[in-house]
Amino acid sequence: MGKLAINIENLVITYKELHRISLKTLKKSSTQKKKKGYTALNGITFSVEQGKIVGVIGKNGSGKSTLLRAIAGIFAPDEGTIETYGNSVSLLAIGIGFINNLSGRENIILSGLLMGFSKKEIEKKAEEIIEFSELGDFIDKPVQTYSSGMYSKLAFSITAIMESDIILIDEVLSVGDAGFKKKSYNKVKELISHDKRTVLIVSHNMNTIRKLCDKVLWLHNGEIMMYDSTEKVITQYEQFFS
Amino acid sequence: MIKFCRDFKKYFSYTLYAAWAELKSEITESYLSWIWLILEPFCFMLIYTFIVRIVFHSSEAYLPVFVFIGITIWNFFSKTVNGSVKLIKSNKSIISRIYIPKFVLLNISILINFYKMLVSLVIVACMLIFYGIELSIYALYLLPLIILLLCGTFACSVILMHFGVFVKDLSNVINIVLRLTFYLSGVFYSLSTRVPRPYGAYLTHYNPIAYIIDEMRNILIFAQPLNLKWYISWMVVSIVFSFIGISTIYKHESKYAKVI
Repeated sequence: MGKLAINIENLVITYKELHRISLKTLKKSSTQKKKKGYTALNGITFSVEQGKIVGVIGKNGSGKSTLLRAIAGIFAPDEGTIETYGNSVSLLAIGIGFINNLSGRENIILSGLLMGFSKKEIEKKAEEIIEFSELGDFIDKPVQTYSSGMYSKLAFSITAIMESDIILIDEVLSVGDAGFKKKSYNKVKELISHDKRTVLIVSHNMNTIRKLCDKVLWLHNGEIMMYDSTEKVITQYEQFFS
Repeated sequence: MIKFCRDFKKYFSYTLYAAWAELKSEITESYLSWIWLILEPFCFMLIYTFIVRIVFHSSEAYLPVFVFIGITIWNFFSKTVNGSVKLIKSNKSIISRIYIPKFVLLNISILINFYKMLVSLVIVACMLIFYGIELSIYALYLLPLIILLLCGTFACSVILMHFGVFVKDLSNVINIVLRLTFYLSGVFYSLSTRVPRPYGAYLTHYNPIAYIIDEMRNILIFAQPLNLKWYISWMVVSIVFSFIGISTIYKHESKYAKVI
């Protein structure tokens, strides 16, 4: 067994029903019973070795996105622990921190800084990002003039090229036109084939999972149904829903 | 606190760049662009001068400068505080996708408003020259006074930012409180001469914004030194509340993404 990159023990995450208080809800809560929280993840325990690619599958609302967000540090666990051994973690999400009437180039820097890279590192990679995004002259135009495809191409390129140790991918493999889709798929493949990089991919596309992943984690209603080699899990998974 | 310093340093370049980017975006959005930064406080100064002179038939020495200093400080404070209530919610797209220490968002907003205040202060300088007011050595107190303003505003905002996430009606309440504070801070009149004794002095000293506005006028227009006793007291209060605010935010920030 190799070095661990992610170790999660007994993770519980609940969304509390208290949401936001207003005068209206204050009045209500005195008469109504308080609603119970919704448990998105209930006692998840698993670990991922460094350099492994793990697919996360399950139907909608089974807690896949919540799991990724918890690993990325956006949510704190209500119970249990998440250990990432000091690796840098990034959630491959589209267009974080973009300001719409600034140019693509400026948004690259903004997004990169937000992800915790230094300005020097970003400037070094900027040309690569621009080239990969295929935007050409549009890069110096405000992003609000972009078509939605161009927008997501740029966003994908930023997250794909600014590399970190652990990458969490949440259904972004289908970006742009057919050509770019293939290219981004290959890029993801190249990214994750690096033997020190650990990757978690959420996808509903079994082909993608089958092609890319070493292991698969199947979540069902916030609990782990199976965590095993790709073929075993997918076979079971497809039987479960047929 | 160590965590605060580390995060402050780590996100410093992002803070700078994001503030710059947002300012640039604001400026490119409107036709008169950066002229608004000057035009807006200038128009308000004209309005208040008009009301005080014509409607209330009263006047302070150098009324336009007097009013402009008040507006400059008030705008910085009220815009930052008002924005802080909804800060987390308006940055939802960032917060739900990546971890960022939440006070960084506040620092960005403070920096933007601070820049606008600097533009305003340049106009104050021009007006001082126009009215032939000579600056004394006490004008150097401007720097510590601005530091107090920054600390105080941060303390207020960081606490409101936290409660703004959970309390939906807070922005309505804050609007009313801010309006009340505006009238009690002597933005366009002098608290010490217009409000009967001893209440004028109470209002000036126990309301930090009134205190800062008053001192700013004293050092710039009337060539008087700072009242150190009150300065130090308010500085201590600001720092204590900043501490409380920062530790509250660190404790609860992971819940924010779930609530909004």
